[in-house]
Amino acid sequence: MSPLRHKLLRDIRTQRAQFTAVIVTIFLGVTMFAASYDSYQNLSTSYESTFTEFRFANLTVAGGDVTGFADTAAGRSGVESIELRTVADVPMQVGGLKLLGRVVGLPAETQPSVNQVRVASGRYLSSAQPTGVLVEEHMADHFELTPGSSFEILGPSGWQTVTTSGTASSPEYIWPARDRQELLTTPDNFGVAFVPEPLARQLAGTSTPNEAIVYFSGGADNEALANLLLTEAADSGATVSFTRDEQPSNAALSEDLKGFEELAVFFPMLFLTAAALATYVMISRLVHAQQPHIGVLLANGFTRRQVLAHYLGYGVVPGLVGALPGAVAGVLMARIITGFYTSMLSVPVTLVQFYPATLVAGVAFGLITSVLAVIAPARSASRLAPAEAMRGTVPAGGGRPSIPERIAPPLRRLPIPWRMALRGIERNPRRTVFTVLGVVLSLTLVLVSWGMLDTIVNLMDRQFVEIQQEDATVYFTGPVESGDVADLGQLPGIAEAEPVLQAPVVLTSGERYETALVVYETDTTMHRFFGEDGERSLPTEGILVGQAVGGLLDIAEGDVVALTAAGATIEVPIAGFVNEPLGTMAYVSRSYLEQATGFDLPATSALIRYTEGSDLASVRAALVERESVAAFEDANALYDTVQRYMILFYVFVGVMLVFGGAMAFALIFSAMSVNIAERTREVATLLAVGTERRQISRMITAENMMVALVGIPLGLGAGYLAAKQAMASFNSDLFAFDLYIRPSTLVISGLAILVVALLSQWPGLRAIGRLEIAKIVKERSL
Amino acid sequence: MAVSLTNVWKTYGEGPTAVHALAGIDADIPSGDFTVILGPSGSGKTTLLNLIGGIDDVTSGDLVVEDEKLTGLGTDERTAFRRNQVGFVFQFFNLIPTLTATENVELVANLTMHDGSERAIEVLKQVGLGDRLDHFPAMLSGGEQQRVAIARALAKSPPVLLCDEPTGELDFETGRLILGLLRRLNREQGQTVLLVTHNAAIGEMADRVVRLRSGEIVEDRRIADPIEAGELIW
Ligand SMILES: Nc1ncnc2c1ncn2[C@@H]1O[C@H](COP(=O)(O)OP(=O)(O)OP(=O)(O)O)[C@@H](O)[C@H]1O
Ligand SMILES: [Mg+2]
Repeated sequence: MSPLRHKLLRDIRTQRAQFTAVIVTIFLGVTMFAASYDSYQNLSTSYESTFTEFRFANLTVAGGDVTGFADTAAGRSGVESIELRTVADVPMQVGGLKLLGRVVGLPAETQPSVNQVRVASGRYLSSAQPTGVLVEEHMADHFELTPGSSFEILGPSGWQTVTTSGTASSPEYIWPARDRQELLTTPDNFGVAFVPEPLARQLAGTSTPNEAIVYFSGGADNEALANLLLTEAADSGATVSFTRDEQPSNAALSEDLKGFEELAVFFPMLFLTAAALATYVMISRLVHAQQPHIGVLLANGFTRRQVLAHYLGYGVVPGLVGALPGAVAGVLMARIITGFYTSMLSVPVTLVQFYPATLVAGVAFGLITSVLAVIAPARSASRLAPAEAMRGTVPAGGGRPSIPERIAPPLRRLPIPWRMALRGIERNPRRTVFTVLGVVLSLTLVLVSWGMLDTIVNLMDRQFVEIQQEDATVYFTGPVESGDVADLGQLPGIAEAEPVLQAPVVLTSGERYETALVVYETDTTMHRFFGEDGERSLPTEGILVGQAVGGLLDIAEGDVVALTAAGATIEVPIAGFVNEPLGTMAYVSRSYLEQATGFDLPATSALIRYTEGSDLASVRAALVERESVAAFEDANALYDTVQRYMILFYVFVGVMLVFGGAMAFALIFSAMSVNIAERTREVATLLAVGTERRQISRMITAENMMVALVGIPLGLGAGYLAAKQAMASFNSDLFAFDLYIRPSTLVISGLAILVVALLSQWPGLRAIGRLEIAKIVKERSL
Repeated sequence: MAVSLTNVWKTYGEGPTAVHALAGIDADIPSGDFTVILGPSGSGKTTLLNLIGGIDDVTSGDLVVEDEKLTGLGTDERTAFRRNQVGFVFQFFNLIPTLTATENVELVANLTMHDGSERAIEVLKQVGLGDRLDHFPAMLSGGEQQRVAIARALAKSPPVLLCDEPTGELDFETGRLILGLLRRLNREQGQTVLLVTHNAAIGEMADRVVRLRSGEIVEDRRIADPIEAGELIW
């Protein structure tokens, strides 16, 4: 090995703490990139192949004259297949539990040409078994339904027993969403059974199908065709129509996947940027310290290119050492993540592939990052004038007092170590700037993930504690008179019951927006409404809509929109906007809507408040016993489910937080230890003139901590902005993720940085304690 | 002529704050001469050496070293010149602390030969460090470090050896040892040696003494009968 290579490796070994920090950062950045990017790829190919294999509908149209719509659509070029089917939300009873499930009609014997299912156990439907059904996997898992087990479904003629002939997963229900307004369901309250079409019609009480599903040629996206068909669907009186992208399950998955993709780019970028900056700082300092050696090399006839290559090596080595295992670890992690994810959901096809490109890209990113980071210092090394390089550099600022001392002269009476610290900060702008940068980066890394966690926790809290006030929801088998709801309040264990009517509506104001209209009592105590200006009550006139709708329909308070439901349209003013994290609904008061429509409106569900100390099981039993009750949903159970859906997010962001924390530690540690290592000569000189080691330690610590303090407000600001950026990428009309960082998070992360900075002093100061002045002073080679 | 300077000026800075480190130097130094350059601090000694070594540029004038005209030389040619024609010994030894004695020398030897490690050991033996080959700089005494630095300068067998205060950091005994070594190499291998010092006594061992003051040559004298380094006293 050549001496220069020896020098490279030994320099790295000498500064192993800093290099390890950088290598770990690169490793983490690359791991994260490979893991999230491969997971993203695995998931999207899994979905894609699920969609083509099971002929997932490009367009779904429900309500109105679907048969007429299907006839016209069948003639359109680009349409490969159309199926007509019956879908109905009906009460089901499994064991003692009632839920508001859904039956989806399928042709017996053969799979449909659109929206096929994957039979996971048992057999597909058979005409020999008119009451044999396929249970969707989420429901089957929850209720432990296996081929042969039976349960009941409520039809117009009463409860009807059906038998599970098999369990199935479907591209429509990978994510078990009821509709776009109810993306999050609990298996206690939502389950899907695929039943023979005749049974579906019988249960729905119709003689004609109510849904048309369209598959485009090759299943390919065709926006023009979709738009044409959507217009035709609207003309045929469709109440609900959506493209594949808008399909509830797929929309939820896309959100999720989009999140993955964002994270797959955002976090690794953040980490690699941090790694690059840490490398840059470290190598700049190294080059600075080695100026005399560079002078010797150049004076002896080393070419500038040789010097450049040598210092680029300080980037290549940690880059490779971090990126190679990082890419491998990431690819392996992606397998685990994909498996975990697809098993949490019911993805019919799970494709875990090896993507060599990810591996190559991961290594390339790591390597490029670290090489880019050292290009500037390596170039400056190669461009040094040899004569001057050997002379060394003059500190900035000369011998004057520091700026703070000049601004506030009383500072000049500080004890010497503090004054020296103040001056040191100014005389070494390079060291100061680099340290501040380290603190800023560290805080950014920590705050981005912590901010995301805070935001989600806060969002859950807002939705389930601040906004939703009910203890449980009772769903009725059909519309009931609102007066009947009051009866529920008489049941033991129930303090209050309020009627609610929820119906799909279309809001039109130029653009169309399909959503759900929720009708509450005018003085409801079950739901609180928060607008821009804080809490408000339900308006006595007009409707409240989610903020996102305002943007989508380009409407403002006071504007009048057309509200279409059940074929009738009325004009209603927008009374205001509400800011709710989940879902984008429209709200209206019962008295206003009754007055506006001239009808007495029924209720489709009731919101319940328990009496103090009531027994949940007996309340549930008393309620589901009633004929009119289709399902009962405990608010806490829903909250738990939501938390369970969030687990992937929590795990991911939690891991990011740990990674970020580790990197923050690495950054601060390397900044601090270089700060101390750089001063070995200075310290040796101070020791030589008789300064106490303790005093030197105190002076260095004071200087470092002061610089860290300067960095903290900057870092908090930068972290806040970065977190806002990260969160904003998740917003859509379905979810509103406004960044919320708890003040305590800011305080704790700031303090944590200070503590880490303080702890990071220790190894360096210990080295000072052991410093052999004689050796340093003798080593004029430094 | 090993080195030939014609009206060489070196000016740092511009306008009123300009410093004329060298102000019109004329000198010819024949091959094989052992020249001592004397002068008080700030007189331009290091500057002169740096110019001759090609690590700094003249402001005006002509400078020819080993038949190579340094003024107007391109970067690559200048690097090649440094590589092939000169060896430097610095006042601060500037050894690389993470390389052993052998490696410090080999580093430079490799510039002119395929595998410099044998050459490195050979020159280290020449300077009497055969038993310190694998020591790191911090494990060597000041004199030993300076001898490594000399070995490093000699490794390429340069025709011109430039020594800037090679004994400035050393005690009297060690200083004499180093000077004796340099003189011996000069005699045995015919190298042209330019040695900078502010210690006038050292001039007595040289073939020639050049004295600088404020960037000008104030004395240029041949020593008829130089004494041995071991006989020097200061
Ligand atoms: N980079 C520079 N910028 C400005 N002035 C410089 C620079 N380098 C040297 N000088 C000035 O040039 C003059 C000559 O410097 P030089 O280093 O050659 O002196 P010297 O004779 O080697 O002194 P010493 O014996 O103290 O080493 C000095 O006055 C010095 O201040
Ligand atoms: Mg000098």
